[in-house]
Amino acid sequence: MDTIRQEWFSNVRNDVLAGLVVALALIPEAIAFSIIAGVDPKVGLYASFSIAVIIAFTGGRPGMISAATGAMALLMVTLVKDHGLQYLFAATVLTGVLQIIAGWVRLGELMRFVSRSVVTGFVNALAILIFMAQLPELTNVTWEVYAMTAAGLAIIYGLPRLTTVVPSPLVTIVVLTIIAILLDLDIRTVGDMGDLPDSLPHFFMPDVPITWETLQIIFPYSATLMVVGLLESLMTATIVDDLTDTMSNKNRECVGQGVANVATGFMGGMAGCAMIGQSVINVKSGGRGRLSTLVAGLLLLIMVVFAGDWVSQIPMAALVAVMIMVSIGTFNWESVRNLKTHPKSSSMVMVSTVAVTVATHDLAQGVLTGVLLSGFFFAHKVGRILSVTSAACDEGRARRYTVYGQVFFASADRFTKVFDYQEVIDKVYIDVSRAHFWDITAVSALDKIIMKFGRDGTDVEVIGLNEASATLVDKFAIHDKDGAADLLLDH
Amino acid sequence: MRQPSKVLACVDQSDYASHVTDYAAWAACRLKAPLELLHVIDRHPEVAADIDRSGALGVDAQESLLERLSQEEGERSKVIREQGRVFLNALKARCDDQDELRTDTRQRYGQLLSTLKEQESSVALYVLGRRGQSASHTKRDLGRHVEAICRQIRRPIMTVTDDFKAPKSILVAYDGGRMTRRGIELLASNPAMRDLSVHVIMSGKPTADSNRHLEWAQQRLLGAGFTVDSAFVPGDPEQAVTRAITEREADLLIMGAYSHSPWRSLVLGSRTNDLLRASQVPTITLHL
Repeated sequence: MDTIRQEWFSNVRNDVLAGLVVALALIPEAIAFSIIAGVDPKVGLYASFSIAVIIAFTGGRPGMISAATGAMALLMVTLVKDHGLQYLFAATVLTGVLQIIAGWVRLGELMRFVSRSVVTGFVNALAILIFMAQLPELTNVTWEVYAMTAAGLAIIYGLPRLTTVVPSPLVTIVVLTIIAILLDLDIRTVGDMGDLPDSLPHFFMPDVPITWETLQIIFPYSATLMVVGLLESLMTATIVDDLTDTMSNKNRECVGQGVANVATGFMGGMAGCAMIGQSVINVKSGGRGRLSTLVAGLLLLIMVVFAGDWVSQIPMAALVAVMIMVSIGTFNWESVRNLKTHPKSSSMVMVSTVAVTVATHDLAQGVLTGVLLSGFFFAHKVGRILSVTSAACDEGRARRYTVYGQVFFASADRFTKVFDYQEVIDKVYIDVSRAHFWDITAVSALDKIIMKFGRDGTDVEVIGLNEASATLVDKFAIHDKDGAADLLLDH
Repeated sequence: MRQPSKVLACVDQSDYASHVTDYAAWAACRLKAPLELLHVIDRHPEVAADIDRSGALGVDAQESLLERLSQEEGERSKVIREQGRVFLNALKARCDDQDELRTDTRQRYGQLLSTLKEQESSVALYVLGRRGQSASHTKRDLGRHVEAICRQIRRPIMTVTDDFKAPKSILVAYDGGRMTRRGIELLASNPAMRDLSVHVIMSGKPTADSNRHLEWAQQRLLGAGFTVDSAFVPGDPEQAVTRAITEREADLLIMGAYSHSPWRSLVLGSRTNDLLRASQVPTITLHL
């Protein structure tokens, strides 16, 4: 009871007003993302309504805004083009089902493998893609469009210096729409981009044959949508956590996103997820509770359905200005300044994530690249923590090698090369009690060393192999107990 | 090391804090226990403080917002902390003239109930105001935390209302049940209380056992050296007890708390709440 009161009704006035600000900003975004996906604006608007309203109840992060997003829209372009809208609805439902399963098996915990650099790369790539998606509206157009867009940006960034009481993107849209109507400008408007909602959404079954073939078509899309949706949602949740200094329930968020997407698919909407930019706007506007998300969704639909004629007259230039603002606000500019100072490997992970995403328009591939690269770099760095010292003993008849550090696939090669196989000697002691063997590669490297010495008739005695290979076991029998840190560092 | 059982006084920046402190100091002296003055700073991250409804996202929007929010919160916490420290010290000064009393002050972040619950094992007696800061401008006669605390905390809790007056006579609202029987035992085993006169009152419908129970209580207390009188006052317990308090000029009430489930009291009302509202004297509620 207390949680419900705290999550819903502890910040009512601010939540309602923030929800209003967010709803106003969501309308242009939902329309813009529908255009990216190649569907009617109503698909994105219905989706934003249904996702925001449902996630308000099911989500694990109060105060976070979820709706139709650019990251998801980019992934459905070919599905819509090749198979049509109904398959998109089916894919949306399947995405939701997969996300619910992901929440149940606690897939959210895999997020710890996504490093800070990959997250930054994700955010930057997203910003670039949103910006690039606006370019078609800015090429081969008359000078009026440029003038309108520039005026829009001037209002968006200029107005907050005068007053922060009204949302400047809203003023931009209203002013530019009035100008376009008054001057009777011949420029593209939202109405030219397709149908707007004329009624409340209702439940219906996506009109696709329920066959194996359909599944084969939609599954790859749904799998990618699931991954990207959860990635962005969990990243955004972390951002909101930091901003508000509170905790969120990540697995509940995964399931919540899934439930929202399943329902959205049945309501004629496209798959969506949490939105970084909108969530930041919400927190900035004072939104903290679930009520803000609910209000945003409800007001969005009310405004669009009842002011549909006005919405259809909004010039695309106004939308472009708002979306440029979103992309500027989403981009992590500090990361560009940090390129010089951060370690090269981190910068490379970030840049690769951005590059692969921008090239493929697929954030999942970008993140995969980033995660793999950070894994490589980490293995490379840890592989350097290996040193071998040696000293002659037994009056020159034998030599004792002492190995310190980590032996695994990335360092095994160097490990085999430090031994002097040409030395004329009776016996070799290899003391590995201060080393760690992490995988089979390390063990076979040791076998290889023993074999090489054997060919020259040198006996090899390995000391402390049991201690060294304790780390081989997948389920750490010793190393997760108390004092494990001492064992790993000193023994 | 096990902490010694202490008297924990929950104070906030209301006028009641000084009464709470005085009563807590009195109780701590009687119990020969150390006194701790606790101020719980309840943070509300779920409530936004300042608002920018421009809806515009500038360069590094997220970073600058994070910076601004954490800076503002930091400054606010500092102010609250400093205010808290000052008024805690003022309250501590009230207790310093009593020689045998060791007083400590502490501020903690968190929610009141859970903060109190955490310390349960090291506390002999909680002391709190029946109304606090949040109730001072409302008409409610029972602070919103009091019932929740009395229900959840399984330790004796003293709730106080008014100016401090060193109690001279105690009234025990006795029902013969396990809870209040333990209250009698507790009293009897505390020689420091021996100079107080004790009235044991039973009320409600007389049963066969009533007299036996009363007899037991009286003997137990007499045996411990108290001045005791006991009586059975028929009628509605709330009225009977309030009347007995006035008639006998008792200035401390001891009773059992919330023996029924919250659901039952939702329907029928809670006798404990009624008594807490009706009685004007400080009250110690006991819990099983």
